Formats: sequence, C-alpha cells, structure tokens
Amino acid sequence: MRVLVVEDEKKTASFVRKALEGEGFAVDVCHRGDDALVAAMATPFDGIVLDIMLPGRDGVSVLRQLRAQNNSVPVLLLSARGEVSERVEGLNAGADDYLPKPFVIAELVARVRALGRRGAETKSTTLRVADLTLDTILHRAERRGRFFDLTAREFRLLEFLMRSPGRICGRMSIIEKVWDYDFDPGTNLVDVYVRRLREKIDEGFDLKLLHTVRGVGYVLKE
Amino acid sequence: MKIRTRLTFWYAAILIVSLIVIGIGTYQEISEQLSHEHRKKIWKHALDETSEMILWVGLPAVILGLLGGWWITRKALAPVTKLASAVEKIHDRNLRAQLPRTGNGDELDRLTEVFNDMTVRLDDSFQRIREFTLHASHELKTPLTVMRGELEMSLRQENLALAEKERLLSQIDEIERLAKIVDGLTLLTKADAGQIKLDFEPVRLDELVRESFADTKILAQPLNIKVNLSACEEVAISGDRHRLRQLLLNLTDNAVKYNQHDGLIDISLRRLAGFAELKITNTGAGVTPEVQARVFERFYRGDASHNHLIEGCGLGLSIAEWIVAAHDGTIQFVSEMNKLTSVTVKFKFS
Repeated sequence: MRVLVVEDEKKTASFVRKALEGEGFAVDVCHRGDDALVAAMATPFDGIVLDIMLPGRDGVSVLRQLRAQNNSVPVLLLSARGEVSERVEGLNAGADDYLPKPFVIAELVARVRALGRRGAETKSTTLRVADLTLDTILHRAERRGRFFDLTAREFRLLEFLMRSPGRICGRMSIIEKVWDYDFDPGTNLVDVYVRRLREKIDEGFDLKLLHTVRGVGYVLKE
Repeated sequence: MKIRTRLTFWYAAILIVSLIVIGIGTYQEISEQLSHEHRKKIWKHALDETSEMILWVGLPAVILGLLGGWWITRKALAPVTKLASAVEKIHDRNLRAQLPRTGNGDELDRLTEVFNDMTVRLDDSFQRIREFTLHASHELKTPLTVMRGELEMSLRQENLALAEKERLLSQIDEIERLAKIVDGLTLLTKADAGQIKLDFEPVRLDELVRESFADTKILAQPLNIKVNLSACEEVAISGDRHRLRQLLLNLTDNAVKYNQHDGLIDISLRRLAGFAELKITNTGAGVTPEVQARVFERFYRGDASHNHLIEGCGLGLSIAEWIVAAHDGTIQFVSEMNKLTSVTVKFKFS
C-alpha cells in the first residue's frame, strides 16, 4: 500500500512515516497543501493522511479539490481538538475517517490500514467479533445465547469498538466518537465505562474480547 | 464628608461673615443719619432698623446664596461624579473602553485624558501577557506530540526488556498529563484572547443534566458513592451545547474526585423566577475558607499535601467559571470542612 502523509510539522511527519514504513507501507511525505494536491493528482495513492491546518492550502480545500476531480482515494483527516467545524466540513467534503490530534501512533497505523478495506464492514447492521454479536437495529448484544443489558452509552461504546475489530482505539477517539466531546474531559470516564462493559461481555467467558493496550487505549479482538 | 458639603459649609461661613460686616456697616450708617433728629433714642432705633434689614433682606440673600452655592458646587463637581462611575466600570477586559471626555480643556478633562492614556498602556501590557501564554501553550503542543510519538515508536521495538518497557510507559503517562495541562491552558488563554466562538442555540438543560447524571453514576461506582438526582425540571437556555456538557462533566467529576468512600452526590436542576439553578452537592473532606476563596484560580489546588493523590491539572474550576461567564451566568462554590461542598450555577433564560 502506498500512502501520502501531509503534515506541516516535520518531526511529526517523520515519526508517522517511520511508523507506517515499519508496518510495511510505502510512504510519501508532503509538508504543504498545494504540494499535496499536485502529488495526489500525479500518483494513485491507496490512502492519504491529511492534516487540516496546512500552509499553502488547507486540508479541507485539498480534499474538496480531489473529490471535485472524481478522485476517490481514501482520506484520513487529522484535526486538532476543538476544530469541530473544520472536521465536520472535512467529513462533508468526503473524508473517510478522522483522528483527533494529538493522536496515538498505533491507532493512526491501524486506521490507515483500515482505509484500504473501507465499505462493507461499516454499513452492516449486525456486527460480529468471535462469538459476540451486536444487532444495531434491535439494540441487542448477545454472546452464546446470553443477552446483555447495556445502557445507551455502553451500547455505543461497544458498537464503536466492534466496528473496528482488532484495531486499537485511543481514549481520545473514543471520547470524541462515543461521547461526542470535543475536549479532553480530564477524567477516567472511558476507563470506567470499559471496565463495566468488560464485566458484562467478558465475565464468565474463557475467551476475553476486550483488551487494554497500556498507554494507548483499547481493542476488541479474539 | 463630600467635597460638595464641605465647600457649601465654607461658603455659608463666608456669607454669614459678610452678613455681619454688612450689618455693622448699616448700623453705623443709620446711627449717623439719625444723630441729628433724636439724639436720645439713637442706638435703640438704629438697632431696630438694622435687625429688620438683616432679617428681611440679609437672611433671604444668604439663603439664596447658599442654594446657589449648593447648585454651583454640584455643577462643578458633576464631571467628577461621572468620572468616578465610569472608572468603576473598568476591569481587565474593557481597558480599551475610553472614558468620555468633555473636550473643554479644563483640569478634569485633562485628568480624563491622562487616565485614558494609562488604561491603554495597561491594556497593552495585559495583551502582551495574554499573547505570551497563548503562544507558549501553542508552542508546547507540537513537541509533546513528537515526544509521545517517538516514545511509542521505541515501545514498538521487539525484544524490549520489561523494565525498559515500563519506563517508556510511565514516560508516556507523564507526557499525557502534560498534554492535558497544555490543553486546558490553551483553552483558557484562547478564551482570554476572545478567540473562542461559542455556538449559541436553544439547549434543553434538563436533558444535559440527565445525561451527565448517568455518567456520574458510573464514575462514582468504584468508590461506592450514591448519586441522587433530586430535581430535574424542564428548562431551556440559549447556550453552547459542547461547552455546557464540558461544564457538567467538570463539576460532576470534581464531585466524585473530592468525595469519600460510600459518600453522596446530589444533583438538582430547578427552574426559578427568570433563571435556572443547577446545584451539585457532594460529601467529602471539603476545603478551608482560605482555599474556598481561591478555588477558581488557575492551577490553584488547595492543600497540596492532601490533593496530590487526586488526578487533575488544577484548571477544571477555572474552565467551569469561564464557561458560566460566557453564558452570562454565575457560579458559586461553598464548602464546609468535612461536611458538604456545593457548587451552584445560575443561568438566565428568556
């Protein structure tokens, strides 16, 4: 997979490149928005990691220009916390995913990998990880005939984790996407909720599904 | 005593002295004129005439003079009163607002001019401090992201010794904490610089409170704290939904953090005459009156020896105060040692 990383902060760009290369991606780096647009039009990338705040041309405008030319390359937007309006604008302009800054590198890598196989998995209404199934229409979670009584928030948390099985989810993105908070809540809200969810879906089963990745976040996998 | 009263007193004294001088003069004049006719009863008659004159002409003149004096001093001092009430309204946020000048070049006009110049200089200094903190907090962000990223990269190396891994993880934890502080600081300095735009829309406060109540119950569970929603009356205000949720989370999180095992939290939202009152009360150690007076100060965390175990950056209540102020509301913190601590927020609604 060939990926274009567009990030004006050189050091950040450099470790993102290192991390992605370490995972076997071919990586090109641009520091300016206008350069990125030229590069993306000349080379068919498999994915673009695009910062919103860029010199030359901002990320949203780069994205809009690409989509206007029917270029459907998957795009992961990076946005600073609090830039909600820019992010919404970015998603409307056709971004496939976004990651709030400061991001966890493991999560970034996982999401770039997921950019490639976007589509079918996200639209499905029944999600399945190992023997755990989640019906998003009936709002029901079930594991080997056992149904779990989940609050609305727990349900959203589980759904979020199940929509990216095997992928690490950082605390900040959980806060952003499950709680819709555009700020760091400065609490261990996520950890407490995950602990409760784990008690419900993992307790009494030999196979544990909800794992903690220390210093990073959580992952739902076999 | 007001300048005006003092001046009037002086003026009254001068008028009375001049009245006495006039009286003596009149007495002498009249006695001179009468000296040719009735030599005998001169002094009696002259005295009568004089006192009559003083009573019917002099006194009204004095009273009129006094009233005039009162009026003149009032007129003369009115600009000072106006200046004082204008100065009273000045605080660190509106230093640029100039005091109105008469423009007639008198002493008071000159004073206003000097005062205006001074507030502009003060505003410049305030502005420089604000810009400095804004830039500082912004500049700190990127190195933190880079440091975190690089530590994470080191963590991904294979055959890493366990001790080494532990060391890297603890460094990541510290960086995370630093990032939180920088985040809070950036938010507040941006707010100071007026760079945060709030999206006002009609917000059902009771819905937000209910949602926050559910989260609080979960946050409170590990400490076995009982959370009670004693009232949640339907009320809508004009506000920024994100910031109001942040406020609620800040306050309820504090109520959990500074609580005790098996403690209590009570949340209430009431619709009162013209305003909505949100009250969050919790058990816990509470704070001393000295600390209570300073809880909204940035980075102020009260008794450091007691609070160092509690996670937080010392900006939570400052942020809460800013959010409330941005909604034109009031926030009050009341704590009784080892009893109850409560935060009351009031929002006007139309």
